[in-house]
Amino acid sequence: MIGTENTAVAEALVKEYRRGAETVRALDGVSFEIRHGEMLAIVGPSGAGKSTLLHLLGCMDTPTSGQLTINGRSTSGLADRELTRMRRELVGFVFQHFALLPTLTVAENVALPGLFARRRAQKHADELLERVGLSHRRTHRPHELSGGEMQRVAIARALINSPKLLLADEPTGNLDTASGESILSLFRALNSEGLTVVLVTHNEALAKATNRIITLSDGKLVSDLRRSE
Amino acid sequence: MLTLAIRNLARRRLRTLLTISGIAAAVAVLASLLAFGQGYRSGLNRELNAMGIQMMLVPIGCPYDAAARVIKGKALDVSLPDASLGAVRADSAVAVAAPVLMAAIPRPTEGRTDLWVGVDRDILPLKSWWKMKQGSTWFTGPDSVILGAEAAATELRQIGDPLYSPETGKTFRVCAILERSGTTDDSQFFIPIATAQNMFDQHGRLTAVAIRLKDPSLLAGAADRLQQTPGAQIVTMGEMMGTFLNLVETVRTLLLAIGAIAAAIGALTVFNTMLASVVERAAELGMLRAVGASRLDLFWLLGLESSLLAICGAMIGVAAAATLGPWIEKAVRTLVPMAPQGALLRLNPTIVGECAAMGLAVGIAAGLFPAWQASRMKPVEAMRAR
Ligand SMILES: Nc1ncnc2c1ncn2[C@@H]1O[C@H](COP(=O)(O)OP(=O)(O)OP(=O)(O)O)[C@@H](O)[C@H]1O
Ligand SMILES: [Mg+2]
Repeated sequence: MIGTENTAVAEALVKEYRRGAETVRALDGVSFEIRHGEMLAIVGPSGAGKSTLLHLLGCMDTPTSGQLTINGRSTSGLADRELTRMRRELVGFVFQHFALLPTLTVAENVALPGLFARRRAQKHADELLERVGLSHRRTHRPHELSGGEMQRVAIARALINSPKLLLADEPTGNLDTASGESILSLFRALNSEGLTVVLVTHNEALAKATNRIITLSDGKLVSDLRRSE
Repeated sequence: MLTLAIRNLARRRLRTLLTISGIAAAVAVLASLLAFGQGYRSGLNRELNAMGIQMMLVPIGCPYDAAARVIKGKALDVSLPDASLGAVRADSAVAVAAPVLMAAIPRPTEGRTDLWVGVDRDILPLKSWWKMKQGSTWFTGPDSVILGAEAAATELRQIGDPLYSPETGKTFRVCAILERSGTTDDSQFFIPIATAQNMFDQHGRLTAVAIRLKDPSLLAGAADRLQQTPGAQIVTMGEMMGTFLNLVETVRTLLLAIGAIAAAIGALTVFNTMLASVVERAAELGMLRAVGASRLDLFWLLGLESSLLAICGAMIGVAAAATLGPWIEKAVRTLVPMAPQGALLRLNPTIVGECAAMGLAVGIAAGLFPAWQASRMKPVEAMRAR
């Protein structure tokens, strides 16, 4: 199943959380694959396991059982150090609450992952700010920006290490419609340049704008619809 | 990384400041105390050397206690026979032998105790630091009294004034007043030895005889010979130094204990600050993990923050010890017995270095656990903590 055209392959993914005595099965046998250059949305009711799945795709955690292969490499049973390396090299993460550091300027926030990748990233950061249309804000602090601008900064930060996979957990959840649309068009533009994008969303419009929608319910994959062009 | 650490500290200015002052206080206290302990020791040395006496004849009893009391001016309950003075003076090795009779007169209404000291002219070569005020003369008769600067001030006496002692019913005439010397002499009343013997009903008795030898190398022989004096024993300066140094050691231990408490407080401050910071920034630390920070990266970041706190604290602490030293010295002086004259607080590079290193070590060590906590956090759980 591991083909070069796949960015990620999930096989019978199970993720369990232990909460005191009981075990919560957040993901229950999920299988699918993500091709290079795809843009897909993960939808489903609250508690369905969408964030859990995204965290697994983002190498932030390992599955309880099943196989997950990112860019040809299995994450099961990897040590923390290896997972960190994959996070750093393969994925970019965008959060609902932006998660920018208030003490750093916009440009410094974008370059931040470079610090941990031991690489000078300021120049690339400036290019990315240009790309998301925020060059004029580079020396500002995050609290001086609007929500939409903050999310664009966060997207620029997610791109700094040139990831293979861009993951976003409800990126428009904290934004008004107009800002949400500008974020969406940014994702589409990035995707059209070949970046694989996975969005978790409750937003219908956002989901419909992708070319594939995966629906989760109760930890199970209930539908996987690909739009045929 | 350094910038990040500094910015994080700058975010919580007040807390950072408090933490830094905690360490600074600990370092300052420790540095002052250690410096004081060292100054105390060397000051005592200086004072004992200035007296230029090699040994002392004291009554049989606790010899060190007796010697210490005589040197620092405290009354003694037992005494020597007069004749022992003659024996000492007759010894060929003795250059100066100064008899001393001390008596304390409690003044409960004034809240103090006056110390009266009977001496003769031989005391002068042993009190090389004595300077008399203008118009002073040596004892002119049995009712002459020499006042220490402090004693003259409290009694409001000038040279030539009469001085009435209600407890003994005697009237003296002030023949001399000493300049302030910073020693216990300042508060004492010096009278002719014979007068003292009468006044305190100690006919033919002495508290001690201070002895200077013609040559310090004669010490062993002279000590052996004078040890034979009936009812008396010899305490040499060496033995006395030992006693004093023991005392200093005790004081030092006490100071170190206080210093240890200060250090513990400093450590707890850092610990508390960093731990609070880790809990508070859980989501942020999780984000850093998500964008590629390794455990070690977070450990370094937090460790760097606590190290910065410790470094600033140690530097400020040393600076504070240097500037506040004189005040601390004054405070400690009133608490510690028999503090010698002269500046006690000597901040030397070793002490400063040691204390700064202590502050650093404690601060950094206290930051280790919180840093480890931060590095142990799982990215997903940290993200959920928001
Ligand atoms: N760290 C955890 N510890 C315990 N239970 C967890 C943990 N993370 C998720 N869960 C549980 O797993 C299930 C799926 O959670 P998840 O966050 O993936 O849902 P979601 O689809 O993202 O929901 P939402 O739309 O509300 O964000 C939930 O029942 C949740 O309570
Ligand atoms: Mg979620």
